[in-house]
Amino acid sequence: MAMLAWLESSGLSTWVREGETIWAFPTILTLHTFGMGLLVGCSVVISLRLLGIGRGMALAPLRSLFRVMWGGFWLNLITGSLLFAADATRRGTDPLFMTKLVFVAIGVSTVLLIQRSVFEAPEGATAPSSGRGLAILSLTAWTAAVTAGRLLAYVS
Amino acid sequence: MDLTIPHLHLLLNHVPTVGMVASVGLLLLALVRRNDHLLHASLELLFVVALATLPVYLTGVAAEGAIEGMEGVAAPAIEAHETAALLGFVWMQITGFFAWLALWQSRRLARLPRVSVGAVLGLSAITMALMGRAATIGGEIRHPEILANPEAVTVGAPAGWLQSGVIADFVTQYPWVWPAAEALHFLGLCLVLGVLLAVNLRILGAMKALSFASLHRLLPWGMLGFALNLITGMLFFIAAATQYTENIAFLWKVIFLGLAGAHFLYLTVFSRTWALNVGTEAAPLDKLVAAGGIGAWVGVIYWGRMLPFIGNAF
Repeated sequence: MAMLAWLESSGLSTWVREGETIWAFPTILTLHTFGMGLLVGCSVVISLRLLGIGRGMALAPLRSLFRVMWGGFWLNLITGSLLFAADATRRGTDPLFMTKLVFVAIGVSTVLLIQRSVFEAPEGATAPSSGRGLAILSLTAWTAAVTAGRLLAYVS
Repeated sequence: MDLTIPHLHLLLNHVPTVGMVASVGLLLLALVRRNDHLLHASLELLFVVALATLPVYLTGVAAEGAIEGMEGVAAPAIEAHETAALLGFVWMQITGFFAWLALWQSRRLARLPRVSVGAVLGLSAITMALMGRAATIGGEIRHPEILANPEAVTVGAPAGWLQSGVIADFVTQYPWVWPAAEALHFLGLCLVLGVLLAVNLRILGAMKALSFASLHRLLPWGMLGFALNLITGMLFFIAAATQYTENIAFLWKVIFLGLAGAHFLYLTVFSRTWALNVGTEAAPLDKLVAAGGIGAWVGVIYWGRMLPFIGNAF
C-alpha cells in the first residue's frame, strides 16, 4: 500500500493525473485505445480465420499481423503502466482492475500460444483442433478484458 | 458567411428524400433494362445516401435545440418530425446495409442475387415513404402555408418505443445501459479496426501472399463492428444529445466517419483492388487510398476518444 502511495505521488504520476495539457492523461488514454485496437483487432481477425472464416486465406501470410499485435501490446504496456501509476492506490486495490489484468494476461497468452503452435510450428505438426480451442479462448478473454477495462470508467 | 447548424440541416435534409427517389428510380430502370452496371450503381448510391443520412439526423437534433421556442415555430411539429425522422433513419440504415450486403455478395458470387435485390427494393420503397413523411412534417415546422388547415399541424405521431424520448429514458434510467453500450462500442471498434487493418495492410504490401479476394471475405465482420457502433453510438447521442451537438470533437468524428464509410464501400466494390492476386503489388494510387482508409479510422478513434477532453462529453 505504501508503495502504491509512493508510486502515485511521483512526479510522473502527478503529471499524468493533473497535467493541464492534452499530452498528459488524454493523449495517454487515446494511445491506450489505439493499442487495444491494434492488439485485440488483429487477434480477432486471426481467431476468426482459425474458426474457419475466410478459409481461402492462407494462414502463413497472416503472420505479419503479429508484428502489429506486439506493437499494440508494448504500446499498451507502457501507456497502461502510466495510467496505473497515476491512480495507483485506487487501481491497486480494485477487484475490477485485477479482473481486467487477469483477462489481459489470458488474452496475451493465447496470442503467444497461437503464434507458437499455429504459425511457428513445423509444417503439418499442428492439429487444427488446438487452433480452434485457442481461438475461442482468445476471443472470450479479449471480450472480457475490453469489457472490464471499459467498465473501470463507470463502476470503480 | 457563417454556416449555422440549422442551416446545415436545411441543406443536408434534401439528401435522403431526393437521394432515395434517385436511387429507387435508378434501381427500377436497371431492372427494366436488365443493366447490371446500373444496378450496381443504384446500390452504391443507396449506401452513400444511407451514410449521408447520419449527419442529416445529427444536425436535425442540433437544429431542434437552436430553434425551439422561436416565434413562428410549431413546437408540436418539431416533436412529430423528430419521431418520423428517427423511424426513417433506422429504415434508411437497414436499407443501406442490405444494399452493401448485395454488393459484397455480387463480388463473391460474380452476380447479384435476386433475393438480395428484391429485399433492397422492398426496403427502399418503405424508406422512401418514411423519409417523405418525415420531410413533410419537417416542412410544417416553419411553413404553415403548406397546410390546408394551418391550425392542423401534425402532432403526436403514433407512440411506440422508437422515439428519442423513450430511448433516452431507457439509456439514462438504468445505470447499466450506458456502460454496457460503451463496452460494446469498444468491442465493435476492435472488430472494425482489425478487419480494415488486415485488408488495407494487404493493399499496402504486407501479406502479399494473400489475394485481395480472400481478405474481402472478412468485410462483413468489419461491417458488423460498424453496425454495432452505429447502434450503440446512436444510443449515446439520443440520450445526451447536447454533449455531442455542441462538441467540436464530435463534428470531426462524424467527418472522419463519413470518409471511413466511403472507403468501406470502395473496398467492397472497386475492381482494381479486387483484382489483386497472390503476390501482386497494388498501384501507388490504391496504396494511397488504403493509407487514407487507415487514416480515416485513426481520425474516428482519435476524435471519439477526445470527446470528453477537447469537447465536453463524458
